[in-house]
Amino acid sequence: MSTQDHSKNRTECGSDAAPQKEALSQGAPAPLNRRRFLVQGTHGVGFLALGSLVSGGWTTPGNAAVNRFAYDVERFSTTDPKFLVYDRAGGFPIPDPAPRRIVFSKEGQLYVAGKRGVSVLDRSGGLIRLIEAGAPVRCVAVDGNGQVYAGVRDHVEVFDPAGRRVRRWEAPSKKAWLTGLAVSKADVFLADSGSRLIWRCDLEGKIIGKIGEKNPERNVPGLILPSPYLDVKVGGDGLLRVNNSGRHRIEVYTADGDLELFWGKPSAAIEGFCGCCNPVGLALLADGRHITCEKGLPRVKRYAADGTFEGVVAGPESFPKNAQAGKARDSEDGTMGGLDAAVDARGWVYVLDLVAAEVQVYQPKGAV
Amino acid sequence: MNSSSPHPPSVSRRQFLRDGARVAAVAGLGGLVGLAASRSTGKEWVWQIDPDKCVRCGNCATHCVLEQSAVKCVHAYALCGYCQLCTGYFEPEPNALNTGAENCLCPTAAIQRTFVEDPYYEYTIDENLCIGCAKCVEGCTRFGNGSLFLQVRHDRCVNCNECAISKVCAGDAFQRVPADQPYLLKTTH
Repeated sequence: MSTQDHSKNRTECGSDAAPQKEALSQGAPAPLNRRRFLVQGTHGVGFLALGSLVSGGWTTPGNAAVNRFAYDVERFSTTDPKFLVYDRAGGFPIPDPAPRRIVFSKEGQLYVAGKRGVSVLDRSGGLIRLIEAGAPVRCVAVDGNGQVYAGVRDHVEVFDPAGRRVRRWEAPSKKAWLTGLAVSKADVFLADSGSRLIWRCDLEGKIIGKIGEKNPERNVPGLILPSPYLDVKVGGDGLLRVNNSGRHRIEVYTADGDLELFWGKPSAAIEGFCGCCNPVGLALLADGRHITCEKGLPRVKRYAADGTFEGVVAGPESFPKNAQAGKARDSEDGTMGGLDAAVDARGWVYVLDLVAAEVQVYQPKGAV
Repeated sequence: MNSSSPHPPSVSRRQFLRDGARVAAVAGLGGLVGLAASRSTGKEWVWQIDPDKCVRCGNCATHCVLEQSAVKCVHAYALCGYCQLCTGYFEPEPNALNTGAENCLCPTAAIQRTFVEDPYYEYTIDENLCIGCAKCVEGCTRFGNGSLFLQVRHDRCVNCNECAISKVCAGDAFQRVPADQPYLLKTTH
């Protein structure tokens, strides 16, 4: 019976099929039966799923989303090539996980202050010797006789040229936090971030003056140091260059503490000093021009003796690790990364990257 | 000699069931005692952000189940430089160092700037306005001392079993901490 019924149905359907075929041939859509509906529906769902995967719609929304609250300094993270006045000439790692300051000796050896002590290196980074001070060294200076002055948080350790300890100077104050050192023929200058001033000492460590302390009568505004990066350098003219980072400027003092001039302005643009407190490091060329180092946007720049911006030694793109905010937070040291620089007799700039623990060497464009 | 059979005595079904019931009862009692003991210690856990792991991704502002995030910026004043040009307060390139909205970084004006003495300013967070976006935290961490940082505020957090922010935290900074020590604060050296 059923077979007969089916055949009957087929016959009946067949009887209606002729108009349908005619309609199809005329371009009308075919009617959907259940099976075709399910097959097409499955295809549709499959395509949707594939599309979602390709577009990333199935990834975690929070991780994939763009941060609409981003702190945008991207436009300052690359340097316009027209400002670059130096070429990179090489580089080498520092044998210290936490270097802080770098200087050249008169003989052309590099002295790097760091967690392990003072690393004495040749120009290609080869370790000549390590001077251990018993604690992290935060700053270093070398006098004309090769005597080494190492700033160990609140006091100075003095070593002979062979690295033997000669004496220890007492802390100049209870708040002392030494972050910079410079030495002239008769004086040693201690940059004390904790006391916010420069101590002037004789070669025996006796304090003979204070520089940079707020003094309205002498028209000295005082040093503003939101973070411990106070540095000091002595120029060939005998004047001191001090980075007053909270005021975003370089101040020039006599050894007696008179403020002679200052220059610098806050700006994330290339000619200014960025962030809350920059520059964090200083070096002087033989002709009196300045090399400045900044943190946050790690960049090294050159300024004329009067503070006119001349060009860039290296921009943030040269220090990718250093440019990552907060990567170098050191609660023991109070530092947040940054750079320091030293200049050799040829005028080449050796940039110390505090985060990457390496030195990058830059030569003036056109130098042979 | 014959009475000491090498085979163990056979266990009847009744004995098996009785012994089984005893074991189950003892196990159940042990479980109850253990549960009571754990409750009695009062060890509860809450969510918190490790500020050293936080990467300021912005997800805290957008993924909390609360309409306004329970994550807020907090300020470690002992670390603050009281800067005139606070990079947590000002846009990266402000027109002027004043409180004009065009110069301010915070999208909800949740940071108050108060003059202390030349050239120092104090910055305080209005938690009712703060949405935990971390824009100021990034500015402070990048250029300054990192005195601004994010924390889950427990007067607001509903302590979800699976925190919605922790699931998307880009720095894996969310962690469970004891409720009696609910904050991970930054300190000075």
